[in-house]
Amino acid sequence: MTQRALAGERLLGLYVGLILAFLALPILVVIPSAFSAGSTLAFPPQGFSLRWFANILARPELVRAAGISAAVAGVATAVSLVAGLGVTLALGRYRFPGREALRMLFLTPLVFPAIVLAVAVAMVLSPLGLVRSFWGLVLAHVVITLPYIIRTTSATLAEIDRACEEAALTLGANPWRSFRHVTLPLLRPGILAGVTFSFIISFDEFTISLFLVGPGMMTLPLEMYNYAEFSLDPTLAALSTVLIGMTVVAVLLIERFVGLGRHFT
Amino acid sequence: MTRALTEETAAVPRMQQPAAGAAPRRRWRALRQVLAPVLLLLPGAVLLALVLVWPFLTMLGISFTDRYPNGAALTLDKYRDVLGDPYFLRIILRTFGLGLVVTAITALLGYPVAWYLARSRSRWKHLVFLGVIAPLLVSIVVRTMGWTILLGNEGLVNSALMALGLTDTPLPLMQSFWSVVLGMVHILLPFMVLSIATVLGKIDPSLSEAAALLGAHPVRNFLRVTLPLSAQGVAAGSVVVFCLSIGAYITPLWLGRGQVTVLAISIHEQMVVLVDWPTGAAASMVLTIGTFVILALYGLAFARHARR
Repeated sequence: MTQRALAGERLLGLYVGLILAFLALPILVVIPSAFSAGSTLAFPPQGFSLRWFANILARPELVRAAGISAAVAGVATAVSLVAGLGVTLALGRYRFPGREALRMLFLTPLVFPAIVLAVAVAMVLSPLGLVRSFWGLVLAHVVITLPYIIRTTSATLAEIDRACEEAALTLGANPWRSFRHVTLPLLRPGILAGVTFSFIISFDEFTISLFLVGPGMMTLPLEMYNYAEFSLDPTLAALSTVLIGMTVVAVLLIERFVGLGRHFT
Repeated sequence: MTRALTEETAAVPRMQQPAAGAAPRRRWRALRQVLAPVLLLLPGAVLLALVLVWPFLTMLGISFTDRYPNGAALTLDKYRDVLGDPYFLRIILRTFGLGLVVTAITALLGYPVAWYLARSRSRWKHLVFLGVIAPLLVSIVVRTMGWTILLGNEGLVNSALMALGLTDTPLPLMQSFWSVVLGMVHILLPFMVLSIATVLGKIDPSLSEAAALLGAHPVRNFLRVTLPLSAQGVAAGSVVVFCLSIGAYITPLWLGRGQVTVLAISIHEQMVVLVDWPTGAAASMVLTIGTFVILALYGLAFARHARR
C-alpha cells in the first residue's frame, strides 16, 4: 500500500470514529445523568446517588406503562410472527401473479410516515370504541411489527438452499414435515432476530400509539413524554439507563447467537 | 417410492408431471399448489387489510368530507384549506425542507462510513457495524432526552461554554430548526449508511482497479466509476430517510420546543385539540402524496436503470 493510500485509510478511520462518537454521544450521556444526586437533568451530574432508580418504582404510572408496553409488544410480535411467517413462505416459495406488488404492499409501512399510519388507524379504531384499549394498541402496533418480521425472515429464507427442502420431499417427507424439520430450523436465526427487533420497535414506538392512548392505557414512551412535560428530574434518565441496558443485552444475545449484520441490510 | 417422486414434483411446480400419474391425484396436487400460498397469505392479508388498507381508505374518504362525523358532501374544501392557507403552506414547506436537509446531510455524512463498512479490511470493522446499528435499537425518547442533556440550559455544551467564559447566560441551543435537524440526522443516519453500504458491497472492486490501471486519478475514478455504481444505494437510503423524516413527530416536538411546527405536529393538533378530522386527514394525505411521489420517482429512475 502506498504512503498516500495509508494516510487516506487513517483519515477515513478517524472520520468513522467521529461519526460513531456522534451516534453514541446522546445515548451515553444519559447514563451518568441517571446517577446524579441533584434534582435536575444536568450535565455534568452532581454527586452520586441511586435514588432516581428507586424513584422509578415510586411512580406507579411509569411501572404500569412499562407493563402495558411490554404486553402490547409481546402480543403484537406473536401475532406478526404467525401471520408474517405465512407471508414469507408464500412470497418466497410460490410463484403467482402480483407477488412483487404484494411484497411491496406488505413492506410499505417501513417507509410510510408514521403519523399518517397513526391517523389512519385511529380513524378506524375510534368509531369501533378501540381507543384506550389494549387490543386497539396491539392492532396498531402490528402495522409496524409485521413488515419487520417479514423482512428479516424473508432475508433468511432467501439464503436457505431449496435443495435441502427438495431432498426432504424426495426422501418421502410431506410438505408439513419438510417445513417442520428442515425449513423451520434453518429459519430460526431470522425468526429470532425478527422477533427481537419487532419487540423493541413496538416497545419504543411513540407516534403510532399517539391517538390511541389515554388515562389508564398509556404506553411507556408516551408516559415518559408526559412525565418530562412536568418534571425534568433524572428519573427518566434512570429509566432510560435501564432500557439501554436491556437493549445492550438483547443486541449482544442476537450478535452471539445469530449475527446482527445480515438482518439490517 | 412413487409417493416420494410425486411429492418431489409437487414441490417443484414447473417440472412436468410424468404422464403415468393418476388424474385425480394430479388435480389434487394442482389444487394444493394454488391453495397453499393462498392459505399461507390469508392471515397476513387479513391483518394488512384490517390495519393498513381499510384505515387508509377510511382516511382518504374522511379527507373529502366537510366535517366528521355526519359529513354531508363530497368536497375538496379541506384540501383547499390545507394547501391554500399561508400558515399551513409554511408548515408544509418546512416539513419537506426538513426532509430534504436531513436527507442531504445524512447522505454526505453517511457515504464515507458506508465506504468504510464495505471496503475496509480493518479488524475494527465489525465493531463499527455494531456502533452504527445499535442506536437504531435505542428508544427515540431516550435519544431525544440525551440531546436535552447535551443542549439544554444546564446541559453539557452550555456548561462547557460558561466554564470557558465564552458566555454568561446559557445559549438557547434547543428550539430551533437546526436542533431538530441534528436530532433527526442522529436518528436516520444509520438507515442511510446501511443502504449505501449494501450497494457498495456488491460493486465489483475490479472495476475501479481497472480504471486505476488505465490511469484514472483516484478522484476521477471515484466520480466516474464508483459513485455512479453506488447511486442506487444513495437513492434507496434517501427515500427511506426522506419518508421517515417528513413523518417524524416526537423529535421536532421535543427538540423544537413548540418553535418548529412540522406537519406531524399540526396533524396531531387538528386531530386532538381541534378535533377536526377532515383537515387532519387532508394534511395526512399531503404527506402520503409526498411519499408516493418520492417512491414513484425512485421506481422510475431505477427501473430504467435496470433495463439498460
